[in-house]
Amino acid sequence: MADQPLLHMEHISKRFPGVQALDNVDFEVQQGEILGFLGENGAGKSTLVKILSGVYSKDQGTIRFKGQQVEMRSPHEAQEVGITTIYQELALVPYLSVAENIFLNREPRRVRQIGLVDFKTQKKLAEEIMADLGVEIPGDRLVKDLTVAAQQMVEIARAVSRNASLILMDEPTSALSSKEVDALFSLMRRLKEKGVSVVFISHRLDEVLAVVDRIVVMRDGQRVGTMMRSEATETNIIRMMVGREVGLFPKEDAPVGETVLEVRNLSGANGVRDVSFSIRQGEIVGLAGLVGAGRTEVARLITGADHIKGGEILIEGKPARIRDTADAVRAGIGWVPEDRKQHGLVLMMDVKSNISLAILKRISGLLGSVRFKEEREIAEEYIRALSIATPGISQTVSNLSGGNQQKVVVAKWLSAKPKLLIMDEPTRGIDVGAKAEVHALMSRLAKEGMAILMISSEMPEIIGMSDRVIVMCQGRVTGEFARPNLSQEEIMTCATRFLRLDAVDETGAVIAPTEAGDREVAMAVHQANE
Amino acid sequence: MQTTSAKPGGALAPQKTIWERIKGLFRITEFVLLLIIIGLFILGWVINPRFVNPGNLQILFRDTALLAIAAIGVGFTILTGGIDLSVGSIVGLAGVMSAYFMMTWKLPIWLSIILTLFLGLLIGLYHGLFVTKLKMHGFLITLVTMGLARGAILVLTNAFPITGLPRGFTNIGQEYVLGIPIPVLIAIVVAVVAYYLLRYTYIGRQIYAVGGNVDAARFSGVSVDKRIILCYIVSVVCASVVGMIQAARLSLGHPGSGEGYELLAITACILGGISFMGGQGGVIGIVVGALLIGTLQNLLVMVNVNPYWHKIVISLVLLAAITIDYARRRRRV
Repeated sequence: MADQPLLHMEHISKRFPGVQALDNVDFEVQQGEILGFLGENGAGKSTLVKILSGVYSKDQGTIRFKGQQVEMRSPHEAQEVGITTIYQELALVPYLSVAENIFLNREPRRVRQIGLVDFKTQKKLAEEIMADLGVEIPGDRLVKDLTVAAQQMVEIARAVSRNASLILMDEPTSALSSKEVDALFSLMRRLKEKGVSVVFISHRLDEVLAVVDRIVVMRDGQRVGTMMRSEATETNIIRMMVGREVGLFPKEDAPVGETVLEVRNLSGANGVRDVSFSIRQGEIVGLAGLVGAGRTEVARLITGADHIKGGEILIEGKPARIRDTADAVRAGIGWVPEDRKQHGLVLMMDVKSNISLAILKRISGLLGSVRFKEEREIAEEYIRALSIATPGISQTVSNLSGGNQQKVVVAKWLSAKPKLLIMDEPTRGIDVGAKAEVHALMSRLAKEGMAILMISSEMPEIIGMSDRVIVMCQGRVTGEFARPNLSQEEIMTCATRFLRLDAVDETGAVIAPTEAGDREVAMAVHQANE
Repeated sequence: MQTTSAKPGGALAPQKTIWERIKGLFRITEFVLLLIIIGLFILGWVINPRFVNPGNLQILFRDTALLAIAAIGVGFTILTGGIDLSVGSIVGLAGVMSAYFMMTWKLPIWLSIILTLFLGLLIGLYHGLFVTKLKMHGFLITLVTMGLARGAILVLTNAFPITGLPRGFTNIGQEYVLGIPIPVLIAIVVAVVAYYLLRYTYIGRQIYAVGGNVDAARFSGVSVDKRIILCYIVSVVCASVVGMIQAARLSLGHPGSGEGYELLAITACILGGISFMGGQGGVIGIVVGALLIGTLQNLLVMVNVNPYWHKIVISLVLLAAITIDYARRRRRV
């Protein structure tokens, strides 16, 4: 028997309008363990973490930390107690150095009374702390010049230097390359040796299995299971998370009809160069490539978000003039954007208003008044069809979970009955169960005759869902493959085609890949060389 | 064992106790404002019974009507996440311009009114174009107009009022229909039209969407620029209407008219629950907010508060309103 756990939460409940986010949950973390905390989006993981880090208040329950009952009323209080959370969005000051960030607000002083900072000692101490964790970053480097991975390490180092005994990491690996993930994992193990406990939240099960000692699974606001690492497998974790078996990538063959969209020699100021392809009814065309390859930019040209510099867009064989997004919507093009909160939803509006946003004119009558009854019926129809989990059509969208929000965006476009639906990273940030649902839905839509252009960075998704794959690199199409001749290796080769040449385009201008692109390129080249 | 009530995500509306219903009422901005207004009326009646004389009430409602029209206009711009600071200057300009058209150019009353409204439309259009095409914040471009319009008034009038406006025009500000002052009737029409537009039409819904999330609205095919331009036009046209009614009331185009009116109009909006972040609030709130300020101003006069203090009182009310607005948003969940 282990003695008293480091953290012991009992009977924690938390209610949001319309949702019981946490329902009488017990949660414990042992001293010096790495705990995998899993569950679908909306299962309650983030809520629990936010209660622990003092962002939310709990409705009920007690928290004991190091044997003492504690109340965290703010993130600051949580840190005082010894609980630090590393979020996806990092909390460092970009224009200060690494050492300054680590010692922010408790800088070593040269002369205590007049507050002169002893920069030399500060740098030395910071580097010592990091070296102790196996991290080597110069203490005087500005944080803005570091990669995301390195920034994360700095944040962890800061937490450790403040005597954190529990570090919560919410999706820390989502922006990291595989090599960086490995580095993070060895850091986590180092923390464990030092007796610090880590709670690790991730959607990537393989990563979780690689590093944790124990797994706690949540579903629908309740704790549904605990497993030691030795007894956990991906299959039984998924089953526990969703409460059912999940099929992956069920794209079925659909009858292929007329050409819906054809782009010829499309170019734009946003970096797209000379792109041509077409999509027919019933087809799902995958747009593959690395981050920064220009895939989203192609979508932005087709949807009128960016201006076209050259080439043309044909819809059902006829040239279409698309000057703005309104033109595109009128022409029958729908776009489920990558970032649903920024581009897809009006978060403070209700479900019904979000679903009807693209068809308001169509459901308006005399004097422009919206036919509310029709609007309600449409909303209810799609809530049912997509099984959106919401207490009603008047629920504010911000209260829904990520997967359900995504479904609302999809519902918005389905109600507009588009000929072409562009889906940019349709399952990003969605949990396993909802992912399978979205895939099944895409398959069904294709079967009903819709043409779908899918942008995805997940290779299994590209290969599983696409009838055809178009590969892009640096704004150009570098390859096209049709089912069943889809191979990960060939797609990857095309995706990195220009990267081995000098990155100079026809005009002689040097192409500056984005920072994120850079990282993926390095990764891809590394993989390709193996 | 623990008895569990309401399952998570249950679609059934839970039974509410009377106490919960009352608590719910207090969460409605309009209701709380009405309570405060009633309180002010009782206070006024106790301190100075003449406060509730029909004569004074007519003045009160006429003032409120003008403020409500201007506030509804500004409210449209705030809904989109912008602002219109030119309201006060436009009120002055419209009064002077309509008088100028009638007295200097000897134009008929109806044509002067139409020309003044058209001028307002043009100014609103130019605001809207700067905001949408140059992506300028409404604060800046309307600040420019605020100064320009005031300057134009002085140039046009040499700082002297334009007097002798015809009877037919002054009736608009001074006469009654069925015992109701005409300005109040105009305000009711404006409020009803604005309410209908925002609440029932697709244009209104799109305005809220633009205020809530411009990008999402744009990607959903909403003609964002058109909606924003419309809101800036509505704002200046409303202010122009107020300016003309004001001139009609005073029987002259006064160069100083409308001074500081933007403060009152914006305060009415914020009081009425129009969020400065855009996308939230409604016409009823604005009207109630205007009524509160109208009542407060009238009360200050009736209980003989030194006029120099009026602006301080109104500004403190604004401070209270924005504090509540921001505190509500910051409240921990």
